[in-house]
Amino acid sequence: MPRVFITGLGFVTSIGNDAQAVSDSLRTMRHGFELYPPFDRPDMACKVIGTIKGFTTDSVDPEDWTWPQRYEIKRETLRSMAPHGLYAHCAFLQALADARLSEPDVSNRHTGLFAASGGSPMLTYYHHDRMIKLGPARCSPMGIVASIVGTLNFNLVAAFKIQGASTGFSSACASSAHATGYAYDEIALGRQKRMFVVGGEDGNRDAIMPFMGMRTLSLQTNPDLASRPFDAARDGFVGTGGGAVLVLESEDEVERRGVEPYCEVAGWGQASDGYNVAISHPEGTGSRFAMENALRSAKLEPGAVDYVNAHATSTLIGDVSEARALRAVFGEAGARPAVSSTKALTGHGLSLAGAMETGFSALVMREGFIPGSAHISRLDPACEGLNILRSTEARAPRVVMKNSSGFGGANVALLLRRGPA
Amino acid sequence: MSEFAQSNQGAGKPLTVANKPFAPEDEVALREALKRCSPSTFEAAVQYRKTGNAEHMPAVVIGVIERFVEPDLRAKLKDGDDDLRLIEDLGIDSLTMMEIVILVEDVLQLTINNDELRNLRTVGDVKTFIDCKIRGLPLPRPTKFLPIEHIGAVMPVQPPFLFLNEASVSSTGANGKYKITGQEFFLQGHFKDNPVMPASIMLEALGQLAVLYLLEGAPTEPGKAIGSNTIFFTGCEGVRAHRMCKPGDILTLSIKPKRMKMPLATFEGAIRVGQEKAVIAEDITLTFAYVESAVVPEPVAPAEIAAPEAPIQAAPPLRVAMNA
Repeated sequence: MPRVFITGLGFVTSIGNDAQAVSDSLRTMRHGFELYPPFDRPDMACKVIGTIKGFTTDSVDPEDWTWPQRYEIKRETLRSMAPHGLYAHCAFLQALADARLSEPDVSNRHTGLFAASGGSPMLTYYHHDRMIKLGPARCSPMGIVASIVGTLNFNLVAAFKIQGASTGFSSACASSAHATGYAYDEIALGRQKRMFVVGGEDGNRDAIMPFMGMRTLSLQTNPDLASRPFDAARDGFVGTGGGAVLVLESEDEVERRGVEPYCEVAGWGQASDGYNVAISHPEGTGSRFAMENALRSAKLEPGAVDYVNAHATSTLIGDVSEARALRAVFGEAGARPAVSSTKALTGHGLSLAGAMETGFSALVMREGFIPGSAHISRLDPACEGLNILRSTEARAPRVVMKNSSGFGGANVALLLRRGPA
Repeated sequence: MSEFAQSNQGAGKPLTVANKPFAPEDEVALREALKRCSPSTFEAAVQYRKTGNAEHMPAVVIGVIERFVEPDLRAKLKDGDDDLRLIEDLGIDSLTMMEIVILVEDVLQLTINNDELRNLRTVGDVKTFIDCKIRGLPLPRPTKFLPIEHIGAVMPVQPPFLFLNEASVSSTGANGKYKITGQEFFLQGHFKDNPVMPASIMLEALGQLAVLYLLEGAPTEPGKAIGSNTIFFTGCEGVRAHRMCKPGDILTLSIKPKRMKMPLATFEGAIRVGQEKAVIAEDITLTFAYVESAVVPEPVAPAEIAAPEAPIQAAPPLRVAMNA
């Protein structure tokens, strides 16, 4: 089976809009949270989100949006985008430059794109409401492709003239981890030579506020305290949006193009809780099985893993489930990998999270550090027995496990390995 | 015939926008709808909505089209060239066409059916179409695109003396193309070791396009058709050749009728190679005569379009084909 490598990254996130800024934020544990003006209302107890800086996408009309000048985007491309389409488009351009890919490398039958987002609730509502009020004759021709789940792959495949495999993934907060895993398969099975993996979320009022119905959002009004996975006083997750892009390439392509990869994708695994539509299994069985499947797929022992970038979102139940799963996989094998959740800095990117955090993991492997798990003042006793880092360590992890879990109890574990091609 | 009835609705009965008083809130909505169009577009729309005067319509339609065309292509619209093609020249795809339609419908308060859109290929087509809608006139005959097989089948002139490779014909004129191959028999002697397309042949090619217009595009009286063996050249004036044309050049020909009254039809014609002017003819006059037509000419456009055997190719991008 061909080996698979990560050769390019692009980020538009709450902690930075390029790899350098993201790396700095991860190393210094600088978060991206702010009080969010649309939540400044008496009936909204949640106040903080991970904001995207340098972009304005509040309007339902893409021609009102603004973005950093270095990205040139035509109206024709912009008109069918959701806000997260814009974020991901910019991240995509970064990834192309980072991987040194030219247009013929991108647009050919051997290069595909897998994407994941929750669609655009803001645009879904806007277009649907217009239809109800003004009738079908006033439906925008872009209404559907701009808003439904799949908008990300529709737009990017068209904008970058992708000719290989393309589809979207929908397993909520595990979506873009699934996309990464299946993109790995696509190359490992010899079907494609190169795959783009894209995660995106609007991360605005319409995307985050509905989680109030589940009471899963942090109600902390202090941005410095709102997201604190594994801390005893955590009270829910902080929402965020953005876009992240990974470039996966086969061994042959890496060699042919002479590029230096960030790391290898060593394998992956998935498993389901079979338990509850929205609540993770208390013992983290699905997460545990996913990690074990990933290790088996990569032919690695638990002891080989240096660092786990946890799914931990800062919710009461979820973090404990994952801690139990981690203890079961690593503790029983006598392994003590470093563990941290970078959601303490970014917030929870939902469908974006898996790709974004896989990108973080690849980045820190190259940069040579393990980011600490921020904002823990008192570790939750239920999360004890793990090597949860409280501060950044200046050592390069050789093998990283990236966990993601989504609604319906879907769990994914990805394994990255640093080494020469 | 239900398709005919449906697709022809709106045509034949004048719209009555002016009867509805134009309220201040309408102006607010209009300003919002046209916020990305030029101020003159908005002004024209206000005037149209207040008076119902169709004279303001072209400014509105062009203003709306301009707003959806990429900035670097907008200059083309300034020249007021009705032959500008929506797809090839202005880069308007079928989704952009829908954006234009929705805004035009909203601003001019009219309804445009999908099958009416299929025949709109040029800026002139759009203007004529909207004008007919507003005035309640029958919709114009759609532009027909004729491949060489069709041209050969209807023309009295035949190879090796036929100088059209393809053509499009509408009720307002005709356009064609001819590629000088270098194999034309007369180029052996015109000139010695220096093949140049004779200006007289280029004039002939324009004349042939005018013949094609008479046969395929010109309005005729019911029950009558122009006989293909009745058309002959009578004269031309104001002919100027601007550029030598040689093998490899693709001649882009266009003619427009100026006057037409049995038995004479006068056209203006032009030939370009790329953007360069090659030949201008101010007047080309042909004689023609009617013959009894075996088939009654079909009613105006929409019914023809609905009939699958009609020799009309809908411009593909205007067929809204989405991979839903």
